[in-house]
Amino acid sequence: MAKRLAVIPELCSGCRICELACAIAHFGVNNPKKSAVRVLVTYPQPVIRMPIVCSQCKVPLCAEVCPVDALKRVDGVVVLDTNECISCMKCVEACPFGAIYSHADEDYPIKCDMCNGSPKCVEKCPKSAIRLIPEQALGESKRINNVLSYTHMKEIEYIEEGKGKTIHYAEIGKEEL
Amino acid sequence: MAHCGPRYPQKTLDGKSMNIQSGYFKKKLCVDLTTGACDRLDLSDAFLESYIGGRGFGAKLVWDNLIDHEFRIDPLGPENMLVIAPGPLTGAYLPSSGKCSFIAISPATGVYGDSSMGGAFGIELRQTGIDALVITGRAPVLSVLFIDDDETSVIAMPELAGRTCLETEGLVKKRLATHAVHVAAIGVGGENGVRFACVNADWSRNAGRTGVGAIMGSKNLKAIAVRGSRDLPVYDIGGLQEEADKAYRYMAGHKYFTLWQREGLMNVMEYANSMGILPSYNFRDASFGRIAQINGDTMLDNFKIGDSACFACSMCCGNICLVKQGKYIGTVTEGPEYESCAMLGSNLGVDNFAAVLSANQACDEFGIDTISTGNLIGAVIEGYEKGIISLADLDGRTVSWGDEDAVLDLIRKIANREGVGNTLADGARGVIARWPEMDKIVLHVKGLEQSAYDSRAGSSMALAYATSDIGAHHTRAWTIAKEVEQGEGWSDDEKVSLVIYHQTLRPLFDMLGVCRLPWIELGLNEQHYEEFYRYITGRDVSLQDLLRQSARVYDLTRLINTRLGMSRKDDAIPYKVHSCPIQAGTTAGKVVNKEDFERLLDLYYEKRGWDRNGIPSPETAAAAGA
Repeated sequence: MAKRLAVIPELCSGCRICELACAIAHFGVNNPKKSAVRVLVTYPQPVIRMPIVCSQCKVPLCAEVCPVDALKRVDGVVVLDTNECISCMKCVEACPFGAIYSHADEDYPIKCDMCNGSPKCVEKCPKSAIRLIPEQALGESKRINNVLSYTHMKEIEYIEEGKGKTIHYAEIGKEEL
Repeated sequence: MAHCGPRYPQKTLDGKSMNIQSGYFKKKLCVDLTTGACDRLDLSDAFLESYIGGRGFGAKLVWDNLIDHEFRIDPLGPENMLVIAPGPLTGAYLPSSGKCSFIAISPATGVYGDSSMGGAFGIELRQTGIDALVITGRAPVLSVLFIDDDETSVIAMPELAGRTCLETEGLVKKRLATHAVHVAAIGVGGENGVRFACVNADWSRNAGRTGVGAIMGSKNLKAIAVRGSRDLPVYDIGGLQEEADKAYRYMAGHKYFTLWQREGLMNVMEYANSMGILPSYNFRDASFGRIAQINGDTMLDNFKIGDSACFACSMCCGNICLVKQGKYIGTVTEGPEYESCAMLGSNLGVDNFAAVLSANQACDEFGIDTISTGNLIGAVIEGYEKGIISLADLDGRTVSWGDEDAVLDLIRKIANREGVGNTLADGARGVIARWPEMDKIVLHVKGLEQSAYDSRAGSSMALAYATSDIGAHHTRAWTIAKEVEQGEGWSDDEKVSLVIYHQTLRPLFDMLGVCRLPWIELGLNEQHYEEFYRYITGRDVSLQDLLRQSARVYDLTRLINTRLGMSRKDDAIPYKVHSCPIQAGTTAGKVVNKEDFERLLDLYYEKRGWDRNGIPSPETAAAAGA
C-alpha cells in the first residue's frame, strides 16, 4: 500500500539530521545541500521549523512542466528518470512546496525517491517529526490536536492517592441549544 | 547502504596513514578590512595536524600575529586578529556537530579569549570551502562581509548602525535578496565596544564570552553573511555513519535523553539549587527560595512553545519561549538556558520567569553577554546596597534585588554606554577602576566575570576558574558537579588532576568543532570522538594523541597570556570566594581557604610543567609551537 511522508512541524527541532541522512544515502557525501528534504526555519514571529518533503502528488505539477516526461508517478512515488531528464530544472521551480532541489555539482534535480519505501529521514529523525504513514491517516495529528483544543473544554481537579489530578471533559453548552 | 569511501584507516608500521587524507579544505580566508583584500591561503598539513581546528587554529594564528606585532596589540585596534574557525568535525553526520569558535585577544581580559557558537553558522562557513576565517584591519564604514562559496565581498552598509542583531540579520538577507544565508551579527553592544559584547547568529545563538562582538565592532564589521554549498570532506562516510549511528542510539537510550529534549539546560536550575551551587543575590547564597518560579517546570507549563537544536544534534537543548500574558506579553526568544536564567534570575533576585525572558531577549538583541551582564548588575545592586555606589552614580535610579525594571534599564544603558552603563560596559575592570571597593564585590578572574557556578562549594571549581585561559568561565573545566556529588575527602591530587583532565578534554571539543554536552551530560564515551576524527581525516591517531595536541594548545594560550603580562597573581580567586562564606543553601558556610587554594595552584603548576610563577618552561613552549 502506498504510504506518504507526513510532517509534524511542532515536533521539529531544526537539527537537520534528516538532510544529512538523505544526502549520505543518495550521494555518499556529507552535504546537507544535496538533500531532497530541507528544514525551513522562520523566526521570531512566527517561530516555525518545518521539514519540506515531497508529497508525491497525484497530479504532480513537476511532471506536468517536464518537457521530456522524465517524471512519472509509479506505485505512489513520482520518480525521475535520469535517462530522459535534460536538467532544465523546470520541475524545481514548478513544485508548489519547493520540495525539489538542485545543486551545482549534480547533473539532475534532487528529487525525493522515498528510499525504496523506507525513507532515511524518517528513520533518523530524533523527534519523529517526519513520519511515514498510510494515505488515509494523513492529517490525523491535526485532527486530534483540533479536538483536544476544543474551546468548550472544562476541567475538574481532584486528589487521588495523595496526587493532584485533572480530568478534562467537554460540556455541551445548554445555553446554546 | 554500501560503503562509499575507502576503508577505516588501519594501523600501519610505516606511519604513512598518520598523514591527513581528508577532513580539511586546507584553506584559510584572510580578510583585511582596511584594504578590502580577501585572499584564500593554503594551510600546511603540519599546521592542520598540530592544531586540529577551531580554538587550536585560533590560538596559533593569534600567537603568530602577536609575534608580528611584538606583543603590542590593542584588543580593539585594527591589528587585533579575529579568527573564526569551525573544526574538522563541524557539520559532519555525528552528534551535535554545530560548533564554531571565535578567537582573538579579548577586550575583557587583554589576553587570549575565545567563545564558541552553536547553531549552523559554522557549517555554512565551512561549506564555502575554508577551515578558518581570519579578519584583521578596520573597514572605513560599517560593513558586511559576504562569503558566497568562492566569492568574497565587503559591502558597505552604514544604514545598519544602531540595529539589533535580529534586525541586522533581516536587513542583510533583504540586501542579499535571499533567506538562504546564515548571518552572524553584532548589536549596538558590539558597535559601542561593550567589553562583553557577543556575536549573534541564527536569531539566538551567541559567541557570548570574552567580548568578540566588541572586536567586530572595532573593525566596523556589523555582520558576516555566509552561503556555502560544498561537500564537507570525509575520508570514510560509511564508517562515519555507522559510528555516528551508534552514538545517536546510545544517546536516545539514555535515561535523561527525553529530559534534555524537554527542558534542555533549564533542568540544571533545580539541580544547581539542590546542590548548593546556584548563584543568588550576587553570589551571596547558593540556592534561591523562589526557584519554583524560574525552573524548568515553570518554563514547560507556561512558556515553552518549541524545541530548538543546533546542527545534527538530537538532544535539542534549546527552548523557544513566549510570554503569553502580562507585562512582558509578546516576548519571544530562544532561551533562557541555565547560565542566562541563573545570572539574570536568581543572581539578581528576580523570580519572574517572564522578566528573565525579557532580559534575555534584550541582551540577545543588543548583543551583550547574559553571563557578564547578570554578574555585573548583581554587583551593582550589592554595591549600592552597601553604599559603595551612590544614587548619583546610578543616574538617580535606585536598584534593588528583584527590581525587574531596573535590570532591563541597566541592560539598555550598558549596550548604549549611557550613564552608569558606560562604566559597566567596561566590565569588571571598569567597575573596579571607578569604585575600587567593588573589588570585593565583583566576581571575576583576569577581568572576565564569573559564570553561574558557585566555586565556594568545591575548590576544584575555584581552581578551574582561576586557571582558565580566558578567565572565570566554566568552558575549560566544569568539575563542580562531580565534586559536590562525590568529592568528599578528595585529595589535592585528585582535584588538580580532574581540573587538568577537563582542561585537556573539553577544549578538544572546541578544536574538533563539536558540542560537549553529549559527553558531559549523557556520558557519551569520548572514544567515539577518536573514531569520528579518524573516519573524517583518515589519520591513524588515537584519542591520546588528540589530547596531547589539546594540552599543547593549552600551553600555547598560557604562553600568550604570559607574554601579555599575566602570571600567578592573575590566577587568583575572587575576594568573595575566599572571604565570604555561602549564606544559604545546602553548601551554606562553605568557602575556599586561601592557603588551600595556593597549595592546589602549586600542585597544578607542577603537573602542568610550569614554574612556580605559572610560566611554562622553554621546552613546554617549544612543544607548543611557540
